[in-house]
Amino acid sequence: MTLLESAFNRSFRTLLGREILRFVRVWTQTLIPPLLTSLLYVVVFGVALGGRIREVDGVPYLQYILPGVALMSLITGAYMNTSTSVFDAKRERYIDDILISPMSDAQIALAYTLGGTLRGLIVGVGVFVVGTPFAGAGVSHPVLLLLTATTVAFTFSALGVVVGVVSARIDHVTFMTNVVIQPLAFLGGVFYSADMLPPALKLATLFNPIFYMVDAARYATLRASDTNPYPTLAIVVALAALAFAGAWWAMNRGPNLRY
Amino acid sequence: MIREDVPALKVEGLKKTYSNGLVALDGVSLEVGAGQFFGLLGPNGAGKTTLINSIVSLARPDSGNVKVFGKDAFAEYKEARRMIGVSPQEINLDKFLTVEESLIYHAGYYGVEKKKAKERTEELLERFALLDKRKARTSTLSGGMKRRVMFARALVHDPKILFLDEPTAGVDVELRYRLWEYVRELNRGGMTMLLTTHYLEEAEELCEEIALINGGKIAAQGTKADLKEEYGARNVEEVYLRVVGHDVA
Ligand SMILES: Nc1ncnc2c1ncn2[C@@H]1O[C@H](COP(=O)(O)OP(=O)(O)O)[C@@H](O)[C@H]1O
Ligand SMILES: [Mg+2]
Repeated sequence: MTLLESAFNRSFRTLLGREILRFVRVWTQTLIPPLLTSLLYVVVFGVALGGRIREVDGVPYLQYILPGVALMSLITGAYMNTSTSVFDAKRERYIDDILISPMSDAQIALAYTLGGTLRGLIVGVGVFVVGTPFAGAGVSHPVLLLLTATTVAFTFSALGVVVGVVSARIDHVTFMTNVVIQPLAFLGGVFYSADMLPPALKLATLFNPIFYMVDAARYATLRASDTNPYPTLAIVVALAALAFAGAWWAMNRGPNLRY
Repeated sequence: MIREDVPALKVEGLKKTYSNGLVALDGVSLEVGAGQFFGLLGPNGAGKTTLINSIVSLARPDSGNVKVFGKDAFAEYKEARRMIGVSPQEINLDKFLTVEESLIYHAGYYGVEKKKAKERTEELLERFALLDKRKARTSTLSGGMKRRVMFARALVHDPKILFLDEPTAGVDVELRYRLWEYVRELNRGGMTMLLTTHYLEEAEELCEEIALINGGKIAAQGTKADLKEEYGARNVEEVYLRVVGHDVA
């Protein structure tokens, strides 16, 4: 058996399948709401306010915000999937059945992470596809866009694993969503270009990882961006690796998981 | 190769301190022969669940060795865990799955191929009278039915050794007797059994060999007959009273 075959063995595929089954089974909670929310953004910011903002960096406003809006849904979808799935499994202890199985901690972390990645991608692509008729225009670099989207989804999915494990109560999970992820996403340049900000805020934006992700997605879609996309992609890949290391650690050493 | 004289379970000097400083296992050594029906008896808090959890890495022991049919439970955990079935003390069924899926997915986690998993699931659903509930979500079941799913789940990957952690706590009399009958049958078929209980009648009924655990230490071990003779007792209950020093309740 090769290394790849044993890493992606039946045990791993079963857990990944379970993760997919879970979000598909509760699709009215996992797939529909983010689509609706994003459409509201498109309507409110794009259609209603777009008449006043017209263009950013020479791109119609709705076109300018769509990649970022899709990426925001992708981020929340990926993060919510793993954080709630892992949290529930831990709270009701059915994660024990997985922890005592012949799977390695890395396999468990990866199966959860890829499940969330897939949900993020489905939601993100969904928003993008539904928004495109309103926004017009296509994708300049589809491969770069898919690569960025996948890496970003993977990162936040892995982060969700960590949060799901370390959270002692469900409010810890929602706190992370409302107080960390949402604000960072909102301030990540989805609705404006960083150039439009006063210098202090612009500097602060440079410390927001989501800013780079939105920027890379925008470049890949529209060729309009604040920074060079390739160093950005490198940063995003590094963040993904870091987040996965965290998820792996969580399965191995996370509090109250393996006592 | 696994030879007949390799013990099903060999635990040596197992120590476990929880993060709050509580020493739950204080150097436990234990050997369970292949094919044995072994009872681990002790009052609540003695360390029975901790011992089981330590073998499958749900608890992290400080030190000690564990071998399962000759495979190191930590260095060769994949091989070791594949041979172990666990029916935990507390119910822990995946609420997103149906009864049938609980078994099929569990088998998948243990690497059992799909066709085999379906066959085994079918047999076990029938065996535990769960056929008409196969499509029900586990969260909708009664307590007794959840227990049955837990037993079936522990068996679906065909373990060589089964850990039954207080299997009949809170179970009605009928299910208790049916379960006793079934585990005896599995044991006759060659499956090694490690049963933890603080219910002495259960141990008397089922186990050939018994270890008494108290305060994280093995206080006595031997066949039922030897222990009775050694402690001049008529039954397991008297042995227990002499060793542990007080009644279970
Ligand atoms: N996660 C934990 N953290 C701290 N102490 C624990 C934990 N789990 C069990 N204990 C303690 O360890 C001791 C042994 O518990 P346990 O193995 O569950 O006993 P038994 O199964 O024999 O009733 C008890 O004193 C119990 O309170
Ligand atoms: Mg116990």
